[in-house]
Amino acid sequence: MTQLHESSAIDASPKSRAAEVFVGICFLLSVLGTIGLAITYWVGGQPQVEGGLLFVTLGGIGIGMVAWGKYLVPQGPFVQEREVLKSEIVEKQAMLASLDRGQKQLGRRPFLGKMLGASIGLFGAINLFPFLRSLGPVPKKALTTTPWKKDALIVGPDGRVVTTSTLEVGGILTVFPSYDVGGAISQTVLVRVANENWTTKPGRETWGPQGYLAFSKICTHAGCPVGLYQELTQQLLCPCHQSLFDVLTGATQVFGPAPRPLPQLPIYFDSNGNLRAQSGYLEPVGPGYWERG
Amino acid sequence: MIVTQATDWFDERLGIAKFTRKSLNKIFPDHWSFMLGEIAMYSFVVLLFTGVFLTLFFVPSSKDVIYNGAYAPLRGTKVSEAFASTLNISFSVRAGLVMRQMHHWAANVFIAAIVVHVCRIFFTGAFRKPREINWIVGTGLLVLAIVNGFLGYSLPDDLISGTGIRIAFSIVLSVPVVGSYLAFLLFGGNFPGDSIIPRFYSLHILIIPALIVGLLTAHLAIMWHQKHTQFKGKGKTDRNVVGVAMWPAYAFQAGGFFFVTAAVIAILGGLVQINPIWLYGQYVPYRVSYAVQPDWYMGWLDGALRLMPSWEIQAFGHMIPNVFFPAVLLPGITFTLLGAWPFIEKKITKDNLEHNLLDNPRDVPWRTSLGVGILAFYVVLFFASSTDVLANSFSLSLNFVLWAFRILLFVVPPIAAYIAYKLAAEASDVPGIGRRKRALIISRSEEGAFSTSESAPRSATHEETVEELPEEVKYHNVLEGTEEYVMPSAVSSVATVINNVSVDVDLGPLPSGGSGVYQIPRSPRGSAPNGRIDEQEGHGDIDE
Amino acid sequence: MSIFKRPAKARRAALLPIAVGTLTVGAAFLAFAPTASYAQSNNPSSLSNYGYTGSYIYGSSGQGNGNNGPITNVNLNPSTIPFGRSLFVENCASCHGNNAEGSSRAPNLQGLGAATIDFWVSTGRMPLADPTVQAVRKPARFSRSETLAIDAYVSSLASGGPAIPNVNLQMANEASGSELFATNCAACHTITGAGDALAAGVYAPSLLSATPTQIAEAIRSGPGNMPRFGSNTLTDQQVADIAKYVTYLQKPVDQGGIALGHVGPVTEGFVGILIGLGLLMLAGLWIGGKAK
Repeated sequence: MTQLHESSAIDASPKSRAAEVFVGICFLLSVLGTIGLAITYWVGGQPQVEGGLLFVTLGGIGIGMVAWGKYLVPQGPFVQEREVLKSEIVEKQAMLASLDRGQKQLGRRPFLGKMLGASIGLFGAINLFPFLRSLGPVPKKALTTTPWKKDALIVGPDGRVVTTSTLEVGGILTVFPSYDVGGAISQTVLVRVANENWTTKPGRETWGPQGYLAFSKICTHAGCPVGLYQELTQQLLCPCHQSLFDVLTGATQVFGPAPRPLPQLPIYFDSNGNLRAQSGYLEPVGPGYWERG
Repeated sequence: MIVTQATDWFDERLGIAKFTRKSLNKIFPDHWSFMLGEIAMYSFVVLLFTGVFLTLFFVPSSKDVIYNGAYAPLRGTKVSEAFASTLNISFSVRAGLVMRQMHHWAANVFIAAIVVHVCRIFFTGAFRKPREINWIVGTGLLVLAIVNGFLGYSLPDDLISGTGIRIAFSIVLSVPVVGSYLAFLLFGGNFPGDSIIPRFYSLHILIIPALIVGLLTAHLAIMWHQKHTQFKGKGKTDRNVVGVAMWPAYAFQAGGFFFVTAAVIAILGGLVQINPIWLYGQYVPYRVSYAVQPDWYMGWLDGALRLMPSWEIQAFGHMIPNVFFPAVLLPGITFTLLGAWPFIEKKITKDNLEHNLLDNPRDVPWRTSLGVGILAFYVVLFFASSTDVLANSFSLSLNFVLWAFRILLFVVPPIAAYIAYKLAAEASDVPGIGRRKRALIISRSEEGAFSTSESAPRSATHEETVEELPEEVKYHNVLEGTEEYVMPSAVSSVATVINNVSVDVDLGPLPSGGSGVYQIPRSPRGSAPNGRIDEQEGHGDIDE
Repeated sequence: MSIFKRPAKARRAALLPIAVGTLTVGAAFLAFAPTASYAQSNNPSSLSNYGYTGSYIYGSSGQGNGNNGPITNVNLNPSTIPFGRSLFVENCASCHGNNAEGSSRAPNLQGLGAATIDFWVSTGRMPLADPTVQAVRKPARFSRSETLAIDAYVSSLASGGPAIPNVNLQMANEASGSELFATNCAACHTITGAGDALAAGVYAPSLLSATPTQIAEAIRSGPGNMPRFGSNTLTDQQVADIAKYVTYLQKPVDQGGIALGHVGPVTEGFVGILIGLGLLMLAGLWIGGKAK
């Protein structure tokens, strides 16, 4: 215990008597809260009651302690001198001398020093390999290709094959190749526009049979699924950062941060009326990365 | 007595008496703004407690299971073990939902408190010499807190957070040169993979908390060693600390504040729903919800992603993706400049003196206005992350809202800075501003004339006057021959420092016979005496 | 209350054990209380609440179609056509024309189907005062029988389009609905059905007051900017499942307390900062202030 003794003046004042009662009530409330908490827990628990009673319990202890520390013990203000942070000059020089002495003793064998450095350095560098390299594969072609292949049968998320009658004009469906239903990279958004055999861009004359148009569902901005189709204006909106793509012009970006159009998947109806891919995507899908020229 | 015995036992082994005595007598200046860091620390303690509880029930795995638990509307759907166990915590583990919600609220409060704490430090100049190291440590803590918040938010594997992870993958992918390798190593392959939940889990509950605990310990130890800063005021100088003593007043106030913090987080956790993942459902890569926002502390990054024009640099067979600028470059610059600020300011002001007295923000208009301007920039970015919600709530066009924010981002900060400068400059000129106002008494004479007079000043205990600092003396270091310290004219303590001798300095005319006067024996080396300022008398202070 | 009669020092000494005791007793009590799960949990063995035991197969709950299916068509009474016509001429014809043939101000309604007409009228979106802004949900002007009469009149003018669906929620599956909703609807209406702003000043409306019939009508007819989902895209069963889940979303389980409008982290952030940190700063103001 310090010599900081209680002043009798604090004890005597009527204010402090009131504070004592207040602190006592706080602790009492806390005890009651805890009992309530135990009962609540016993009977099966209820989140709102638990939160409320925790508030009473913890708040009772907290407010009681603060009030005790604030109204029932001397507050000062007390003053304390700061110590000088900087060391004495003698002390500092002695330290430097010690450091120097060691360095000199070691410095007599420079070759050993280099060898030690090489050993530790090599150990560190080599050990980075299993540590880093084991974490995952290198990208290779994963970013430039998708699971889509020539003649892939196109199905909906529930596995049903897409035919000429699957979508009504103004309809939308998320589709996949039949061998990768639910695939994160192959997800493609299929819409049907009123214009038969619509050509979004020169060179894509056969890509829109019967008004069916397929675009990668992965936003070219940050990779969110572009699932929001505004049918009247025939625009796809990305829910994450509100990039807007115009379907009829080949999902070119018209608004927001997306820097590139959504890649379009060339599709055709086979002789049975089932929708298939003419080929995979002709460009990488999704957001940009360094190796993408 | 047990205390004496315990003291003996430990002291014989550790020699604790000296350190403990100094600690118990340590003085803490009291001001409400010094509590902000405490709120952050106590929220972190709540995070640790609730987090430990959650680890007992959470299963960090992306393995598919058929949910068959207590929450009926999702029964029978295919979910990951992570999601199923989070539902389990919310609906079946007793007190689980309260703990989960407290954990999430505590994270929100934790980072909010850190941010406000940083603002307090910045605007009062508390980062100046000798506290640059602690400023850097604090910046590191802020970054770690934000990162860990994001990781924790991602763990339940729900639709909203899964979309956030997808964006994070794209952000990592955008780093020049190494981005795609980095992303594949971090995610164990192309998105989504099935290693991200377990990896985020070990980062979230082990690696980053360990770093936070380490840095927090350093933060507190440095603060303890260097002692608190304090605002200018009666008897307060650059060489002393005025406030309440650690034991018992401060210990009880601070300890009580921990429980108060926990109580506020508990009431939020119990009564206000946060992140109801059962309504969001399992994350599936091709599903998405509109109105996807990250937690508030990531809002500025999300806002920056939204406001960024659709630029992408393609040259020499390589690409710098669009998201690199708002999501890698912007935070990189932000935290570099933040951490380097004490040194930047030193370059500007050429001020190499030790500062233990805080600036009143109005007294340094240029720093205040700069801070307000930069803060305004981030606040605009923060609001920009809810463009869609704002457009919906106020029936505005989304396009209009986005363009408005793009313009506001560059218009608001200079205006805010200008207003802050004007206000600060004006306020610093007014004598007596910030003091307690006295009442004006209007009286009417018998002739009917009115006259106005100020009421009498309140009693000395209540009247907080800002005293003129004692005349400063340049002190000549006899050993080094250089001018080192600017010290107040506390001659006795200067003498102590110079000669490094142990003297029982008589602190002058301390009021004798009054209550609460005490004197603590001086420790041998430069350790300072403690004294008590008797406010009733108004003088007899150490420095007078 | 005897602690208050003792000397001051002893009184204070008594308070500390109470503070410590509170914690200890509370902790001990919680530790030894029996285990049980929340009252509303159907499966008390809380830790084994999920596993590989489910039998749910995607989208195949409920069975059949036709009149016994999850969605049946509402048969409109031809005798109400004259009444419907008079209502139409009075309230709709100024824009749509007497025979619903459309004008420069409003579209042709012939052949759109009874479901389309019923959706617009029953949700109060039609009649519309100002055709240049997006129609929003408001209290319907017509009673149910009046609305059906208008539907009967307009659908008698030309064949085609979806009929008014009557959803049998008994035969629908909520869990399947939740997945279909997340896949097909949440991108615009948000996962909680709260709605949000789309590009260029239009909105995906909140679904929180839509009836099952209106939900099915909207899915089938694609009002405004909404895409159309024909019966080859979503089966009747799937539409009924979605309608059931949306009905659930109108009164979801808010186990955690105040729902904050179900708009996610935006409101949560404001509450955390303003109420959470705000309360604590007020507490700090008290603690850091001078004792009087």
